[in-house]
Amino acid sequence: MILVIDAINKDRFGHVLDEMFKLRARVFGDRLGWQVEVKDGRERDLFDDLNPAYAVGLDDEGNVVSCVRALQTTGPHMLADVFADILDGEPPLRSATLWESTRFCVDTRRLGRGRDRNSVSYATCELMIASLEAAKRAGVSDIVTVIDPVMDRVLKRSGNAPYDYVGKTADMGKVPALAALLDCTEERINRIRAFGGVEGDVFISDEAALALPAIARTVTPKTPLEQYCDEQITSATSEKERVAALRLKAALEDKIRSRMDQRA
Amino acid sequence: MAQLDPFRQFLDDLRNRFELDHVAYAGMNPISGATHGHMTYGADWTSHYLQNKYYEIDPTLLKARHSIAPVDWNRLERGAEFQTIFRAARDFGISDRGLTIPIHGPYGDVGGLSINRDCSEREWHLLISGIIGDLQSAAVYMHDMVIQADPLTRMLNTPSLSTREIEILQWTAAGKSQQDIGDILSISHRTVEVHLRSARQKLNALTTPQAIGRAINLGLIYPR
Repeated sequence: MILVIDAINKDRFGHVLDEMFKLRARVFGDRLGWQVEVKDGRERDLFDDLNPAYAVGLDDEGNVVSCVRALQTTGPHMLADVFADILDGEPPLRSATLWESTRFCVDTRRLGRGRDRNSVSYATCELMIASLEAAKRAGVSDIVTVIDPVMDRVLKRSGNAPYDYVGKTADMGKVPALAALLDCTEERINRIRAFGGVEGDVFISDEAALALPAIARTVTPKTPLEQYCDEQITSATSEKERVAALRLKAALEDKIRSRMDQRA
Repeated sequence: MAQLDPFRQFLDDLRNRFELDHVAYAGMNPISGATHGHMTYGADWTSHYLQNKYYEIDPTLLKARHSIAPVDWNRLERGAEFQTIFRAARDFGISDRGLTIPIHGPYGDVGGLSINRDCSEREWHLLISGIIGDLQSAAVYMHDMVIQADPLTRMLNTPSLSTREIEILQWTAAGKSQQDIGDILSISHRTVEVHLRSARQKLNALTTPQAIGRAINLGLIYPR
């Protein structure tokens, strides 16, 4: 099951995101040896501070088993900056209907071999389907994805072969990286579904995800500051007071949020 | 008759083309420090909205623009903020069935294009799935138009096209089809399309002929 986390619902899934950053540290830092910054066992970079959309794979318990990150190419993204070598000095593509996908990975420690629901193969296909479907639903027609040659082979043998590449293969520390193009079409999605044996809706709703045991355990109560703000809103006696209380909460939003981050 | 400003004109056109109740844009330019708002709403709701400073609490603006995907308003928490604004909006005949498309530009400039329509859920989903791609392009076009209206920003931001984008524009100006260009450059015709979309976006052009015109004016390509 794939949960989509972005700026709208990230406060509800702080724990899931934390587990995701730990998975990324294990995969990109330890297993693949990419030049990424790992701090306290979590791999995060500056693009994670820009409110990207994540597609996160969960097992039946609610454990994180896979993830990928999407950014708009109209704004700051990796090809424009960190992966500029791939483009060989050329400016990156910029389009409202093109998203960039990075940090695709699955947990080979938690998942098994074979083809069943708890296999690497199934989780990989499910995540690829979800990212294409989420983009398509958002009106995005194509994805440019920064991958290494291993992932390129995985794409090719899963019915998800890139239709083209932009720039060149560039050395990124120990491993080469390249930028591949994928169309967000029904045909591509169906090919991956057929290959992976993935049927039906791959997404899980926020409410259903919150009810999974590993996630339900971590739901935290409101901070005193947020509680105070909410009390002010509910106890307002006039419309004017209510709007003033709402403005106060909106103005303190960053403080409320940073308190939550610290605790997470 | 008074001339409508081009921003309002663009939003009105969008509203008519996609049969929407209303279209609104709000954005912020960090270079000039200015915030901009344009909308098709009537003067009565607009002044009520501004008077009550709803823009300081409006989740369809503040919350939605942090997302990267379009945010259906049914995803926004029906908290006190939302209720306050949309209870008032209902009195002005304005529906809370809507969607905001967030826009993020290269300089930390952010914006949001909001649309709404009073209709059944089924009708709404049909409408959105049919127009969402066009809306995405329109949202970035509108945003770039607003941000580029600032002279300093315009100076800092000359369109930077890649060699491939220029090459494809040049072949298009010479009358070649996408299929032809793909064959000439040994790339797929879909790659040609992706580069053309990007070139149009960078030149802030709605159509390919418009992009070619601008590229010629900028001296990026030669007229045929």
